[in-house]
Amino acid sequence: MAAAAAAATKFNGNMKKALAGLRRINLEGLRWRVFDAKGQVLGRLAAQISTVIQGKDKPTYTPYREDGDMCIVLNAKDIAVTGRKMTDKVYYWHTGYIGHLKQRTLKDQMAKDPTEVIRKAVLRMLPRNKLRDDRDRKLRIFTGSEHPFNDRPLEPYMMPPRKVRELRPRVRRAMVRAQIKAKGQQQKGDSGKIARRKKESLLLETSASNHLPSSYLGFVCSGDEIDRS
Amino acid sequence: MTRIRRGYIARRRRTKIRLFASTFRGTHSRLTRTTIQQKMRALVSAHRDRGRQKRNFRRLWITRINAAIREIGVSYSYSRSIHDLYKGRLLLNRKILAQIAISNRNCLYMISNKIMKIK
Repeated sequence: MAAAAAAATKFNGNMKKALAGLRRINLEGLRWRVFDAKGQVLGRLAAQISTVIQGKDKPTYTPYREDGDMCIVLNAKDIAVTGRKMTDKVYYWHTGYIGHLKQRTLKDQMAKDPTEVIRKAVLRMLPRNKLRDDRDRKLRIFTGSEHPFNDRPLEPYMMPPRKVRELRPRVRRAMVRAQIKAKGQQQKGDSGKIARRKKESLLLETSASNHLPSSYLGFVCSGDEIDRS
Repeated sequence: MTRIRRGYIARRRRTKIRLFASTFRGTHSRLTRTTIQQKMRALVSAHRDRGRQKRNFRRLWITRINAAIREIGVSYSYSRSIHDLYKGRLLLNRKILAQIAISNRNCLYMISNKIMKIK
């Protein structure tokens, strides 16, 4: 309880925005699903969120009635995209005035407001009908991992396991080259003064706490890696 | 030729149409020529949608069955369950399956467990 209160007070984001329009939604019987966007690929996460928001994972789905669960998305700033989308994906919109086609890259949008990235992705996956605005109201996205809904019964959503395809040859070669470079730098750095002092301090820590920090082991690579540029 | 009044024949025909369109909105239930057109459109829509109704309900049942079936396992889906149904030669149609999914979920799980085991 104290932890919940502490977490609630830590949420210094836009409280008004987070609670906006909650009264308009008929909240009885709806679950509060929590999605953690950390490390998830943008589109795949958005597809899962859109099915949950439409209520398509319930056998009582009715197309004319809005019955989806409330979705809370955390860690919006840690969303991942594959390929060069961080710099190359452009959001376009037209203001209505002639010649005023505006654009903004993913990188700039993430710097400005990371929640908009996920919101746009999910909204554009929902069917364009009269229920779309109500479904938008059920989506709450937060940049960090704090949110003011800690006193509700929350349910974390397990993303279905994903078959990551193996890297294309050129990308794999680039990754191997990067690995070799990092290892070379590590070895070079090991002989420097600062690195020696770091090693000593780490050894002291290990003797005290019996815990070897994995970052000391250098480049940590997992089996299937998503290519993140 | 003597003058012949048409009498009540046209009026009788038009009251029938007006009765049909009596619940329509605005001038569609008040003005004669508009009501005739709207009755025609209504009947055409009804005819077309009687075929659509069958399609729509089947879509709804499939969506509902899919939603219920996906809760069974990680990569279990509607398509796989239908395949298992056909393999197990079970003749339940989607309407009944959807009703079972809503009303009696455990029954659906029992059925799907049985058909999953059949090779």
